[in-house]
Amino acid sequence: MVEMLRFPFMQRAIVAGVILAALLAWLGVFVIMRRMSFFSDGIAHASLAGVAVGILASIHPLTTAIIFSIVFSLTIYVLERKTNLSSDAIIGMLFTSGMALGVVLISLKSGYQPDLVSFLFGNILAIRTPDLMIIAPLAVGIIVFLICNHKSITLMALDVDTAYLAGVRVSLLQIAFYVILAISVVLGLKILGIVLVSALLIIPASTAKLVSRSFKGLIIQSVSFSEAIVLLGIVLSYYLDSPTGPVIVLVGTAVFFLVFSYKQLVSLGRSQAQ
Amino acid sequence: MGDDKILEIRNLTVRYNEHVILNELNFYVNTGEIVAIIGPNGSGKTTLLKAILGLIPYKGEVRIFGGPPRLALKEIGYVPQRLDFDKTFPLMVKEFLGFVKVTNRPWREEVLREAGVNALMEKRLGELSGGQLQRLLIARAMLKEPRLLLLDEATSGVDVAAEMTFFELIEHVNKTHGVTVMLISHEVNMVYKFATQILCLNKDLVCNGRPKEAITQEVLEKLYGKNIQFQPHEH
Repeated sequence: MVEMLRFPFMQRAIVAGVILAALLAWLGVFVIMRRMSFFSDGIAHASLAGVAVGILASIHPLTTAIIFSIVFSLTIYVLERKTNLSSDAIIGMLFTSGMALGVVLISLKSGYQPDLVSFLFGNILAIRTPDLMIIAPLAVGIIVFLICNHKSITLMALDVDTAYLAGVRVSLLQIAFYVILAISVVLGLKILGIVLVSALLIIPASTAKLVSRSFKGLIIQSVSFSEAIVLLGIVLSYYLDSPTGPVIVLVGTAVFFLVFSYKQLVSLGRSQAQ
Repeated sequence: MGDDKILEIRNLTVRYNEHVILNELNFYVNTGEIVAIIGPNGSGKTTLLKAILGLIPYKGEVRIFGGPPRLALKEIGYVPQRLDFDKTFPLMVKEFLGFVKVTNRPWREEVLREAGVNALMEKRLGELSGGQLQRLLIARAMLKEPRLLLLDEATSGVDVAAEMTFFELIEHVNKTHGVTVMLISHEVNMVYKFATQILCLNKDLVCNGRPKEAITQEVLEKLYGKNIQFQPHEH
């Protein structure tokens, strides 16, 4: 275990993992409460276009993916309000278009693209210092935003009218939330990749929702589960010599079903005692 | 009525897909009134309150405390007909009430006691009965120490005894704390007793005035049809 921590790539992986686990788990609480899982999944897939542009233009792909994700999230916001289409239809259309654009752009560059593979499936162990220089300040900034706007975002997740009447500038906050969620999803690509990143938004928050009684508890437990899942996933993947992203997701799923089974056993015990 | 206007509505029209919900309403409310809005289902009562709050788009002018609704929200308490939220949302009553900034602690204690929500603090919002949720929403609206309180059928889901207590609470808040109240109610007899101004709505403003003058058999027939019988209790 200690030997593992001597490697600089492992140190970077743990730092990035701890920061992103907290960020995605916190946002995940609002994602599951507002039923926005498909939004985050859609943004992740659509950001392939941004990754492709970065690779083609020799710009850091994370930077271009962030810019594209912001454009996609704002487009979703506008179309949701200016058309009579449902959110899932809009997201479905944009995310397939983003992926299609990404594939077309990537095809312009010949040869094996290691960056592309790491963005598709994630590789936390391949996180470099420049990646960390983007991930850490943005993630910390978003966490500070969540702390400062906790009341407003919670009320908005509960009921938009209630939030408005409490003086929240709902439209502005909604746009801000779309943007920070899009950025966070892209930051998470380095751990789990386009295909799996939604897992870290959904699994810890869903697991926490099984056991928490209060909203504060939901956030604390979601972040705690997420940290445990990511760190256990990194350690297990090191010893099993397996890809880290998928191992993290599988650990998360196992934790969810363990907590679910525990809850079932407790309620079974209670009903038998009565 | 004097000229101490707390709310002024001019040419208020609300349309939904070209369908007129409210048509050219004009009225005002003075400070200290208890205004009851009555009318049949679909007459635009809830729409009127939502327009006053700026929750829906409208044509015309709404001025609260002399300004637009957005600037008045801090001093308005609103109790909706129902709160549409995910019942699995794990928000506790104490967390929900904690979002209201209260500096006046004795006021907080008085409101929570009078609304009877102290025993509900550790419950989740989704675990409350309809009546408990209404009491919580009333308490939350009152915690803001509002100058104007808007209530949209706040007694729905509340039993008859609690309804009487509710109207007494509203009268108490109005008389003791000087809060102007606007409420929607189907209880014509109840509002006849407690209200100081009646607005009869059926897309248009059918009546506006003191209850004894405004509620006539003719007005009620315009609102509810020929079969309505009204026996006002004299006090």
